Amino acid sequence: MSQKPKGISSLSERRKRFAWLIPFADLRITLTLLSLSMILIFVATLEQVRVGIRGAQAEFFESMYGIWHYPTQFWGGEYLNPMPIPIPGGYLLGGLLIFNLLAAFITRFQWSGKKMGIQFIHLGIIMLLVGQLATQAMQEESRMQIDKGESKNYLERFHGVELAFIDVTNPNTEQVVALPQELLEQGGIHYAKELPFKVKVLEFGPNCEFNSLPPAQKTSGPAKGVNRGVIQTANLEIRPKPEDFSSEGMNFGYVVFALFDGKESLGTWAAISHPAGNHWWAQINPKMGDLAFQPIRTNGRLWGATLRPQREYLPYSIELLGIANEFYQGTDIPFNFESEIVLKMEENQSRRALVYMNTPLRHAGKTFYQYQMNKAADYTVFQVVRNPSWLVPYIACVLVSIGLLWQFSFHLLRFLTKNSKANLASS
Amino acid sequence: MYRNFSWTRFLSALFCMGLFSCGENAEIQSYTAPNHYEGPVVAWELPDQWGENPGMGGIMAGSFHIKTDDGPQGRIGVMPFRDSVETSQVVNMFARELGHRDYNQSTVDQVLQKKELGGRSFELIRLEDKASEEETQRTALLALHRQDGQTWLFPFIANKKLVNEQLDNFYAFLSSTTLRAGKTPVRAVAPSLPPAQPASSPHQPTWETPPHWERKPSTQMRIGNYAVTNDAGDSLDFSITSFPGQVGGILANVNRWLGQVGIEATDEEGLKQYLSDRTVDEKPAKLVLAESEDQALYAAILFHKGRSWFLKLMGERSLAQTEKENFLRLVDSFCLGDH
Repeated sequence: MSQKPKGISSLSERRKRFAWLIPFADLRITLTLLSLSMILIFVATLEQVRVGIRGAQAEFFESMYGIWHYPTQFWGGEYLNPMPIPIPGGYLLGGLLIFNLLAAFITRFQWSGKKMGIQFIHLGIIMLLVGQLATQAMQEESRMQIDKGESKNYLERFHGVELAFIDVTNPNTEQVVALPQELLEQGGIHYAKELPFKVKVLEFGPNCEFNSLPPAQKTSGPAKGVNRGVIQTANLEIRPKPEDFSSEGMNFGYVVFALFDGKESLGTWAAISHPAGNHWWAQINPKMGDLAFQPIRTNGRLWGATLRPQREYLPYSIELLGIANEFYQGTDIPFNFESEIVLKMEENQSRRALVYMNTPLRHAGKTFYQYQMNKAADYTVFQVVRNPSWLVPYIACVLVSIGLLWQFSFHLLRFLTKNSKANLASS
Repeated sequence: MYRNFSWTRFLSALFCMGLFSCGENAEIQSYTAPNHYEGPVVAWELPDQWGENPGMGGIMAGSFHIKTDDGPQGRIGVMPFRDSVETSQVVNMFARELGHRDYNQSTVDQVLQKKELGGRSFELIRLEDKASEEETQRTALLALHRQDGQTWLFPFIANKKLVNEQLDNFYAFLSSTTLRAGKTPVRAVAPSLPPAQPASSPHQPTWETPPHWERKPSTQMRIGNYAVTNDAGDSLDFSITSFPGQVGGILANVNRWLGQVGIEATDEEGLKQYLSDRTVDEKPAKLVLAESEDQALYAAILFHKGRSWFLKLMGERSLAQTEKENFLRLVDSFCLGDH
């Protein structure tokens, strides 16, 4: 007569079918992984002092594992510091946590109305983890600097450069062929049908030091074989440096490349990217001004080569009408930064907007935050974030909330029902 | 069937999407954008027999040679000038070099021809060195094009035979050029640079260099170009340059050099401490010897027949002191070759 609830029966079916998953659904694994996550956060926070936020993020969170050295300032540090300690990285812990939760979902949870709240809560947590993974993989952060009265229609990445070849022969439009940093890191020969030459990447580095040598002195290092362009005429020596991940870090990426017309070599060039924009080169040293545009003439066309922050062109532009900054009275502490802009969209549509702290402009999947401002030089800088998975955390939170509400309400109702029945019985 | 659409499948798919479908393959990006380039646009198509000279700098936008069986010969240049300069100014820059008298606008008109090339008007002036043999006669064929307040000069300097042989190529080159003034001004205000002396010139100066001085390629500015280094990494730069006129005189030039070695500029009176008399190629010249804490400048200045000649050694003081005798021997060996 007694009939097992449907949920229990399906659970036992699932446990039979996915028996191999049962060991992975162990709660002890969950607790271990959560404990390791706390250790990871602690270690990465300490490491921010050494490598900055971006460095700690790349080294510990966006990796399978990181190597940590016990700080010398801590007790026994002088002995323990030389020993490398592997720390499980964010990708490893996140992946394992998702797997552990999924295994629990399948082999331990009852899929019944009574337990639906628990399922919603865990589904929400899984979504949070997956959403974070997707954010790390897909989120792009860029900057847009606009001078007052000017319009901009492109973004520049905070990190990552591109080797751009620009044909400016046509007075109205320029043809751009850009090799992103990933290709520069790979090296090798690259072609594009729009380019009249092949590009052989000989060396790339994310950061370097450079100085101009006296004319008689020969350069060494990456620029040794360079026989064309600014690096050769200014007799610049390039010394590779590791990438600086700190928030104040200025990375001067460099690339050495040769161009070929068929099999004939056109020469070897080098280029350096200025982290604040290549227009700064001319102000640092007039000799180096051409690093913003090293002319290459071939087949009656004028091409320019430059290594610059990776660009993304937009189908719309933003014009800066004015800027305002306010400070707390009697202090230099900023109270408000504000940019008045006109967003010029397709089909001659436009709208005015104010962008200020905590009130960004959202348009076409991108969010423009007020980032920096220079009142004296009359320019503003927006931090532009594109995150296709930005809705996932909100959905996840809604799921967890529904789950908690369901679970507590279910128990409350059951308790109240039982209580009223008991009262009726006693009366 | 409904049971087959299980949460496990859905979550597995979500998990796999999260893990594996987020990466993007890097590829070359090609696109067009509004042209923001503000510099001058100069482009050309080179004839097959021509080659480009590397290490171009200064005011030259382009510099070429002609490939011959005897190696690179002749020199063709592209020089933009910021102002619409007088044709006579440009012509005199080369005329003095070839032993001609100064031209004025009316005398220039007598040697000037206008030619339509590639739908544009060019002024052509041909100057020949009367002092040399017919076949090896040094010839300067100057082409000028004026556009948007700028003047573009294309000097073709070679011996007469080569200029005649390459005339069609020169015209084809001029026809192929794309010239567009930029929003930012070009560097040269007015003509000031003499053409480099071709190797076949009978007036080629000569000098003797120590064997350990490393010869570097001549440039538009430098007739002689050498590097001197030692094992400690110290270096010296030696150059021989020549310009029409006195290019500011001794004081202006010495003050410029003193600044380069970290010594304060001086006046006529103070100049005497650095200057001494010396005879170069049987002609009176000046010797400049100046040393700062770590840098040194040794130079010889010779003014002769409307031209100035500078022989200049500059660099690390200790190495310069070691090489001082070699420098003085070189100065003594210098011969203009015009006698």
